[in-house]
Amino acid sequence: MAFSPRLLPATPPSRCPPPASSRHGGRTAPELSGPTPRVVVVTSGKGGVGKTTTTANLAASLARLSLPAVAVDADAGLRNLDLLLGLENRVHLTAADVLAGDCRLDQALVRHRALHDLQLLCLSKPRSKLPLAFGSKTLTWVADALRRAANPPAFILIDCPAGVDAGFVTAIAPAEEAVLVTTPDITALRDADRVAGLLECDGIKDIKIIVNRVRPDLVKGEDMMSALDVQEMLGLPLLGVVPEDAEVIRSTNRGVPLVLNDPPTPAGLALEQATWRLVERDAMTAVMVEEQERPKKKVGFFSFFGG
Amino acid sequence: MATATATAISGGFGGESRAVLAPSASVLPAPRRRASAVSSSKAQFSSFLRGQSCNLMLTPKHICIEQQSCSKSSTRTFALSRNDFSPITQDVEGFLHNIVNMGFLDRLKLAWKIIFPAPNTKDNSNANIAKQRLKMILFSDRCEVSDEAKKKIVENIVEALSEFVEIESRDNVQVDISTDAGLGTVYSVTVPVRRVKPEYQESEEQYRGKIVGVDFKDTGETSGSVDVTFDFFVPNKNY
Repeated sequence: MAFSPRLLPATPPSRCPPPASSRHGGRTAPELSGPTPRVVVVTSGKGGVGKTTTTANLAASLARLSLPAVAVDADAGLRNLDLLLGLENRVHLTAADVLAGDCRLDQALVRHRALHDLQLLCLSKPRSKLPLAFGSKTLTWVADALRRAANPPAFILIDCPAGVDAGFVTAIAPAEEAVLVTTPDITALRDADRVAGLLECDGIKDIKIIVNRVRPDLVKGEDMMSALDVQEMLGLPLLGVVPEDAEVIRSTNRGVPLVLNDPPTPAGLALEQATWRLVERDAMTAVMVEEQERPKKKVGFFSFFGG
Repeated sequence: MATATATAISGGFGGESRAVLAPSASVLPAPRRRASAVSSSKAQFSSFLRGQSCNLMLTPKHICIEQQSCSKSSTRTFALSRNDFSPITQDVEGFLHNIVNMGFLDRLKLAWKIIFPAPNTKDNSNANIAKQRLKMILFSDRCEVSDEAKKKIVENIVEALSEFVEIESRDNVQVDISTDAGLGTVYSVTVPVRRVKPEYQESEEQYRGKIVGVDFKDTGETSGSVDVTFDFFVPNKNY
């Protein structure tokens, strides 16, 4: 039986503060701004830059802040978000089944055991026939259904598939905001720029960047572009800068989102800060880490001339 | 300036109008005017040629601007000096004036920097190379024009140009999009020109411009080269 919506009054935008968090200057929780649920698509264009990892960790962070979040894996053919959240064994029903009328929407949502505010929705089973039946309105319908649910989530995070084809178009259809994940290398930035153009054409004007896999040692040695360069190139506000961290691999292998590590790792911290900024619709400004003049090569008498 | 003139002359004689680095000894008013006529078409549509030095690129453009402003052409006092053709412009003269006024130690420092320039490692770093490449590629990606539009651009330009010059061959027309650090995205249409149509051709006998204010700095008796400053007046309706 298909999911039957029930009309409910809209939830109030503000939320009461949850458990204290000492990492954010004394504030216990970010202030949610804007009407809920906020539909955010996490996209990048190029594959392998960290979309799924970012989606999983943003969703986990949100849940930890007691903001109910639904993470949607919009990649119909290759499914990865469930692996990152450790929920791969519990996904039996997908949005495809809901659309076919075989189950209700709340049956397809998988709730995380540790984080009660986190739910996962997969678009389709990977072994099923290739989802040619998916139209671009699929996710729009899902988002609407979630909006009308008994307890609508505060955030709907959509993990976009790589590329700019039909899967991408489907994934961005319901979104009002976008988080563009990119790495500081030239290929990813070119694709990110293209995707930013496509998003703006589609009507999504609120695009923020997360620069992933930054290696501070390479940036210092001028081998890698810095976050400031990336922001200059793309001209979009910066949501976060995440350093390269081996912990990402370990946490993926374990199936536990990185942000749940205690003590937190650099990447986890960066993602948590990015979550705060996402909730508050804030952006960070990248600064030049070391604006130092060229080191003086010649000392002594000649530095007077050559310095 | 001198190099640009030689370029335009060779363009006028049936070759493709591309920049050619050719030295020229002295400059006379007549070839300069012909240079203007021919190079105007080149400069308007192909205002940027890759891989050439800065000086070469600026001057055809300036000639073009002078033409279009259609007023007394600015006195670009180019004094060809000596046997080396290093045009000393007013900018360089001003620079030298400033140096003379600096203190001794400052001049010493400047001399050191000129003689032993500090190795410029920053610009060759991988990050900066990547940034430059990325800028170029982002500009060209953002301004990429469809093939259909390119064909139409070529047609329109060839049509507009064939009013004034005879096109060598329509098939050899090329359209390129490139980026220039100073100008941004540059579209260049390269058109091989056979010759200028008679009604628009400048020729020595019937030049309608006027040279005023000739000032010989060096008549060549002792040094062997001529050093001339003059103002060239181009009336409005002339092309």
